[in-house]
Amino acid sequence: MPIVELQHVRKAYDTKIAVADLSFSIEPGSMFGLLGPNGSGKTSSIRMMIGITVPDSGTVKLFGQPFSRDLLKRVGYLPEERGLYKKMKVMDQLIFLGQLRGLDAATASKRAHMWCERLEITPAIDKKTEELSKGMQQKIQFISTLLHEPELIIMDEPFSGLDPVNAVLLMDTLVDLRKQGRTILFSTHRMDQVEKLCDNICLIHNSHLILSGSMRDIKSRYPVNRVLINFTGDASFLNHPAIHSAKNYGGHAEIRLNEGADAQALLAAAIAIGARITRFEVMEPTLEEIFIEKVTANTANAAIETGENVHA
Amino acid sequence: MHNIWLIAKREYLERIRTKAFLIATILIPLFMGVFVFGSGYLASRTKSSAHLAIVSSNAAFAADLKHELQSGKNSSMTIDLLTPTSASSSDETRATLDQNLQSKSGDLTGYLVVTPGAQPNARPTFTYVPRSAGDITTEDTLSTAIQNVLTREGLTHQGMGSSDIDALMTPVAIDTSKTGDSRAAFGAAYLLFFLMYMVIMLYGMNTARSIIEEKTSRVFEVMLSTIKPDEMLAGKILGVGAVGITQVGVWMIAAAALGSTSLATSLIGSGHAFISPTQIFFFIAYFIFGFLVYSSIAAALGAMTNSEQELQQLNMFLVIPLAFCFLMIFVIVHAPNSTLAQVVSLIPFCSPLLMNFRISLTTVPPWQIGLSFVLMSLTILAILWVASRIYRVGILMYGKKPNLPEILRWLKYS
Repeated sequence: MPIVELQHVRKAYDTKIAVADLSFSIEPGSMFGLLGPNGSGKTSSIRMMIGITVPDSGTVKLFGQPFSRDLLKRVGYLPEERGLYKKMKVMDQLIFLGQLRGLDAATASKRAHMWCERLEITPAIDKKTEELSKGMQQKIQFISTLLHEPELIIMDEPFSGLDPVNAVLLMDTLVDLRKQGRTILFSTHRMDQVEKLCDNICLIHNSHLILSGSMRDIKSRYPVNRVLINFTGDASFLNHPAIHSAKNYGGHAEIRLNEGADAQALLAAAIAIGARITRFEVMEPTLEEIFIEKVTANTANAAIETGENVHA
Repeated sequence: MHNIWLIAKREYLERIRTKAFLIATILIPLFMGVFVFGSGYLASRTKSSAHLAIVSSNAAFAADLKHELQSGKNSSMTIDLLTPTSASSSDETRATLDQNLQSKSGDLTGYLVVTPGAQPNARPTFTYVPRSAGDITTEDTLSTAIQNVLTREGLTHQGMGSSDIDALMTPVAIDTSKTGDSRAAFGAAYLLFFLMYMVIMLYGMNTARSIIEEKTSRVFEVMLSTIKPDEMLAGKILGVGAVGITQVGVWMIAAAALGSTSLATSLIGSGHAFISPTQIFFFIAYFIFGFLVYSSIAAALGAMTNSEQELQQLNMFLVIPLAFCFLMIFVIVHAPNSTLAQVVSLIPFCSPLLMNFRISLTTVPPWQIGLSFVLMSLTILAILWVASRIYRVGILMYGKKPNLPEILRWLKYS
C-alpha cells in the first residue's frame, strides 16, 4: 500500500497552471525526491498532499485513504517558506508546536531537548527565535516537524540556505529516519542531493511530470558511457574514435563515448600515447544530465508529445 | 477544542509577557488617577482663587455682593470694594484697575463696575472686565451672585423677612431614589460605551494584527498543516480577548481602589452612582459578547488583508457600528421601549451597548434579553465561519480573487 498516492492531480491558479496531471505514488519506508527547477510546481504539489490547497481535479490519498485532516497527525511537514513565532523562546515554540500535533507538554519537551542536542543547537534553547541565525531557525523548524514521530515526513526544500556542514547533518538525520522505517518525501532543485539520498524520484518541469520511477531503473535506462579522466601530458587521445564528444578543461576531461564503445580501449590508447593518468572513472550519466536531456527533448517535442510524456 | 485552547493559551501568555502590556496596564490607571485627582484638585481651587475688585457707588449693594461672593455656595473669592465719590474719580479708579490687569504682576482676576440706573428703581448696569476673556467660570459665578443679591434686595424691598427669603432661595432637590439615579444609569452606560470602544479598538485590532503577523511570518502554513483555520481564528479571538479582559479587569480594580480612598471621596464628593448587582452582571455578560462579536469582525478583516496599512483602511467596519450605537443612545434615552429602541437593541452589533443601556434604564422583557444573546452567538459563529474560509482561501490564492464555485469547494473540503 503506497503511503502517498496522487492520481491525475491538476491545479491551476488563475491562468497559470501549477500542476498538470500529476500521478505518482510513494512506497512505505522509501526516500522520495521531488525534483524540478524553480517554479515547476513542486510546492503546489506538496500543498495538495497535505490539504492546504485542494486539487482542481484528481485525487490525493494518504496512507491508502482519501485525504482527511485526521491523517495529518501522522505527517510531519516542513514548508518551503519557514515561519516561526519570532518573539517566542525556542523551547516554548517547540513544545507549543508539539502540543498542536497531539503531544503532551512533557513528552514534547523531552523530545525537543533530545533533538536540539542531536542537531547541536542546545545553547539556543533559551533564546528568542528572532535572535537566531537563519540556519538555526531552520533547524528548529526541522525539529518541530519531527517531534510527533510522524510516519510520513514531507519537506519542501529542506537544505536550501544551509551551509554544507549543516546540510550534511540534516541529510544524515533523514537517512537515519528512513532506516527507522519512516517514509520521507523532499523536494529540491539540487539534483546531486537527490542522487545521493533518494530511492525514488519524480521530475517535474513546467508543471508537467517528465520522469518518475526508482533511481536505479532510471539510471539503468541510460548507457554507462561517461568517462572522467585526469591526466598530464599529451591530450591527443581525446580524438579517439570511441569518443562521441569531449570537454577538456586542461588535465581534466569529461568524455561521452559512442554507443557500444569500450572505455578500456580509450584507456589503453591514452597510455600508449604517453599521457599520465591520475584518474580514470567510467560513470552513469548524472541525474542532471538526464534531466537536461529530457527537458530539451521535451521542449522540442512539446507540441506532439505532452500527453505521453506525462506518463513517462 | 484542545487546539483552540492551545492557540488561545499561547496568544495570551505571549501577550501578557510583553512590555507593552505591562506599561499599558500600569500607566493607564496611573494616568486615570492623575487625571481624576488632578481635575478634582484643580476644580476645588478655581472657585476660590479669583480676586475681584468691585467699583460701585452703592456701598450697601457692593457689601451684599461681596458677602455673596466670599461665602456663597459656589464661591469663596477675595473681593476689594472701591467706592468712587465722583464720576471723574471712578474713571481714575478704572484706569488703575486696567493697569493692574494688563501688568504681569497684577493680582486681580478682573473687576466689576456697577453703574446705578438712571431712575431710582431701575436696575443698575454691570460691566465686567476680566484678565482673561476665557475665564467663563468666574463670569458665571459673578452673574449668579449678582442675580441672587438683586433678588434678595427686591424681596426685602417687598417687606419679606430674611428667614423667608432663605427658605425661598434654597435649591430644589428631586427624589429619584425609587427609579434609580438616572444620572448614574446614564453615566454607567457612557462608561460602558467608552470602555467597549477603547477595548474593541485596541484588542479587536490586535486580533486582526496577530492574524496578519502570522501571514507575514509564514507561520500559518505550519499551523494549517495541523489545525483547521476556524480553530485557529477562534483561539486567537479568545486569547487576545482574554488579554483585553485581564487588562480591563486590572483597570477596574484600580479604579475601584482609587474611588474608595478617602482622598477621592473628599475631592470628588460622595455622589456615588449606585449600580445594582443585576446591572453589573449584564454589564459583564454584554461586555464579553460585545467583545467577541467585534473581534470576530476584526478577525475577518485580518483574514482579508495582508498588511497593517490595508487593515487601517478597513477599520471603519469596526467604527461604523459603534458610531451608530452612539447615535442610538440618544434615541433610547428618551424612549427606551419604543419600537425603534427594541429593534436596534436586538441587532447583534448593537446589543452589547444598547440592550445593556436599555436594561439600565427600564425593564426589558426577558425574551428580548435572551434573544439578543442568541442572535449575538449566531453572529459570532457565522462571522467566524466565513472568516476562516476567507483566511484560508485568501492566504493561498496568491493574489487571485476566489470565485463562488471555488469557495464552495473549499467549504466542502475543510
